[in-house]
Amino acid sequence: MNPQADWEQIERLFHEAVDLPAHERQTLLDSAPAAVRAEVESLLKAEDNTFLAVPPVHLAADLVDHQPGALAAGQKIGRYEIESLVTVGGMGEVYLARDPHGAPVALKILRRHLVLSPQAVDRFETEARAASALRHPNIITVCESGESAAGLFIAMEWVDGRTIRQVMNEGTVGPVRAADWSAQASRALAAAHAAGILHRDIKPDNMIVRNDGVLKILDFGLARLAGPVRIEPDSIGASGTISGTLSGTLLYMSPEILRGETATSASDVFSLGALLYELWTGRHPFAGETPLDVYEAIEGRLVAPPSTVRPGIPPAIDALILRMLDRDPDHRPSTADACEVFSKSSTTP
Amino acid sequence: MNSEGEVTSLLTAWSKGDPNALNELMPLVYNELHRMARRAWSGQQGVTLQPTALINEAYLKLAGAGNTSFQNRSHFFAVACTAMRQILVNHAKSRHAGKRGSGQFDLSLDDVQVSVNQEAAEVVALHEALERLQAIDERKSKVVEMRYFGGFSIEETAQALGISVITANRDWRLARTWLIREMSGEKP
Repeated sequence: MNPQADWEQIERLFHEAVDLPAHERQTLLDSAPAAVRAEVESLLKAEDNTFLAVPPVHLAADLVDHQPGALAAGQKIGRYEIESLVTVGGMGEVYLARDPHGAPVALKILRRHLVLSPQAVDRFETEARAASALRHPNIITVCESGESAAGLFIAMEWVDGRTIRQVMNEGTVGPVRAADWSAQASRALAAAHAAGILHRDIKPDNMIVRNDGVLKILDFGLARLAGPVRIEPDSIGASGTISGTLSGTLLYMSPEILRGETATSASDVFSLGALLYELWTGRHPFAGETPLDVYEAIEGRLVAPPSTVRPGIPPAIDALILRMLDRDPDHRPSTADACEVFSKSSTTP
Repeated sequence: MNSEGEVTSLLTAWSKGDPNALNELMPLVYNELHRMARRAWSGQQGVTLQPTALINEAYLKLAGAGNTSFQNRSHFFAVACTAMRQILVNHAKSRHAGKRGSGQFDLSLDDVQVSVNQEAAEVVALHEALERLQAIDERKSKVVEMRYFGGFSIEETAQALGISVITANRDWRLARTWLIREMSGEKP
């Protein structure tokens, strides 16, 4: 057959069929030659009006990113005054700023070109909404979110401290601190779950311990109200682009998320379990040389009880962390259950 | 010859069927757009980020405000969208290649980087799929180039390509669907 003639037939049939009701569409398709019909049917399945809706300008980031931290000290963002740049990330910058009373706030600013990325804006707004819906001593407080000449911003409580990732990188965390942080983290997450909000990105980089010992969970950027939310397997690099930054997240992903299933509160429990295992033992339960090793470990590696890695861990905690890492979400404890065990252990060291 | 005269005479030569004119025109347009994009996107507030606006501005700059030839303008837009596609795809590629294995644990910001890198990979995949579409149906690939990489509306795309709005719409719809299917790897 002549491919050009085929293509013309395919094109004609596609346009005739695409707006028809299902049964008429079928009759029309049935009358076409098999090869043309197969092609058109496969195209009709793929129809999606939102695809290619926005020019990918925000991806030309190296054109844009050569001035990170462009805001100068003294500059006003809303009612806040910039003091210094704290960190630069993919989404924008975090600044130390002062409110009109001189109190410090963390000001997160969405990088300007990302305003064109619906995904980034959605994520940014989710963070502002989810965290401000939660009032808990162990969850970072959002003071205000809005739009200024510099773009979208979120003003958050300023926390002087270090992330759990930073603390763990520096050395062993003793059982007293481990117990205390386990209790605080599970209390925060239990409160979020009670309010119907999932975090979906629990990892040591997202927990910060203030210098006075109070732990705060940050970054509700992926948070969603509990419910059937699908994380597309695509978002974990189906195109083979597994990066170093990704493996940081991959280490704390539950097996059901890796399989592309719906995230539930049990998925947060698994992530917290992996984090706490590492916190108590100093060893990550799914550590591996490559992202693929990690992937396989999460899918199937037998997890040794924490106490076999570091002796002396109380039996109740040993058993609890293992249950949090159960591959079957239904067999994992709830955050409220975990919270109860940890709260007991942290008061009786 | 200054760039105004040069671009105008290249556009005219090209519309008269001289294929070499396009080869000379493309680098001029690419360089100008790239320079303008770098300036416009480098953080000044209140400057547009839309490729369409840059392309219009580039036209005024390169062909001159006095150049009112409708045909020249249409041809320029078509060339400029190809250049814009190259710019965006090149940057997506470098982003995509540069971020591998950085192993950075930044304060809670890195998932966006992951998702933007993912988008970058998708743009590169789209670019490759578009090359395959071009082999089957060049006009449709051009419609996608103008709509997606150039940010032009259906009406502007139709005008620039000298086709009716209805045809542009139909091309856009089929091309987009074909690309989704192509990128998902599900062949019939």
